[in-house]
Amino acid sequence: MSLQGKLALVTGSGRGIGKAIALKLASQGINIIVNYFRHRESAEQTAKDIESLGVKAEVIRANVGDPEKIDEMFDMIGNKFGCLDILINNAASGVGRPIADIDVKAWEWTMDINARALLLCAQRAAKLMEGRGGKIVSISSLGSRFVLPNYTIVGVSKAALEALTRYLAIELAPQNICVNTVAASAVETEALKFYFKEGLAKDSSQLTPAGRMVVPEDVANIVAFLCSEEAFMIRGQTIIVDGGTSVGLFALAGK
Amino acid sequence: MTVEDQVRDIVAKITRVDKSIITRQSTFKEIKADSLDVVQALVAVEETFGIEIPDEEAQKFQNFGDFVSYVESKVAQEEKV
Repeated sequence: MSLQGKLALVTGSGRGIGKAIALKLASQGINIIVNYFRHRESAEQTAKDIESLGVKAEVIRANVGDPEKIDEMFDMIGNKFGCLDILINNAASGVGRPIADIDVKAWEWTMDINARALLLCAQRAAKLMEGRGGKIVSISSLGSRFVLPNYTIVGVSKAALEALTRYLAIELAPQNICVNTVAASAVETEALKFYFKEGLAKDSSQLTPAGRMVVPEDVANIVAFLCSEEAFMIRGQTIIVDGGTSVGLFALAGK
Repeated sequence: MTVEDQVRDIVAKITRVDKSIITRQSTFKEIKADSLDVVQALVAVEETFGIEIPDEEAQKFQNFGDFVSYVESKVAQEEKV
């Protein structure tokens, strides 16, 4: 099955990993819906870059932390296209704080955008995939299973995302929908610069066995693979893209 | 209700401070608004007025007055269109 002419929604694809995924899928002939929330100009630039690859791009603003906005976005997709082949649940946010400073608002903000959005988007996407099957791929991080400083809420939200991936994979399997997640270590993006500034991350290229930091294209390549028919039998998995960082932790401790 | 009053209500509701303490000279720190409060206030204001406030602009706001002035100018632009 060719991916040519298929339709993908990539949440949070104005910049960073989402943009790299959108461009990678577009390069395979897939039409892209670029969802963004805070950065219109970046999203419009992504759409231009997609169109220059010879496929169609549509830009939709929606805060995926807001159920009403998710509904509006999918209503629009349903009305305009009537179907969807691929959902990339990439949009993420988070508040970096020590546990003592976590309040309900920060918890809900992060969980709503990072975890609940997958549930709500997958529910709506599955309807648009009825009778044609589809792929749902989310983006997670190593923080779901490893402890990073001031990363509690985001890490927990990503753990929920990965668990939800497993449940969705089973419940949506009869509809021929493949559901998986890609978990990356720190990826060189605008968001990472923010994390550097907030003291939530530091340059980890020296700690990466592969010798460099993960770049958005590394993640996009695996997402594209999970969207291909070659990956049909991979279900409910979280594939780690970290240049060996996580399996090398104990080796590092000895250094 | 003026734009300033509406923005003040939104900010007060998000930061849970008494709106009488929010003046045009108040800094976000004085209003006890953390980075998440600021983002939520931006989003709420954007939705209320049907405008967009790029982060690059928002980062320039030194105090509540800067925020209000920016929203006022955007709302005036919208009305012209």
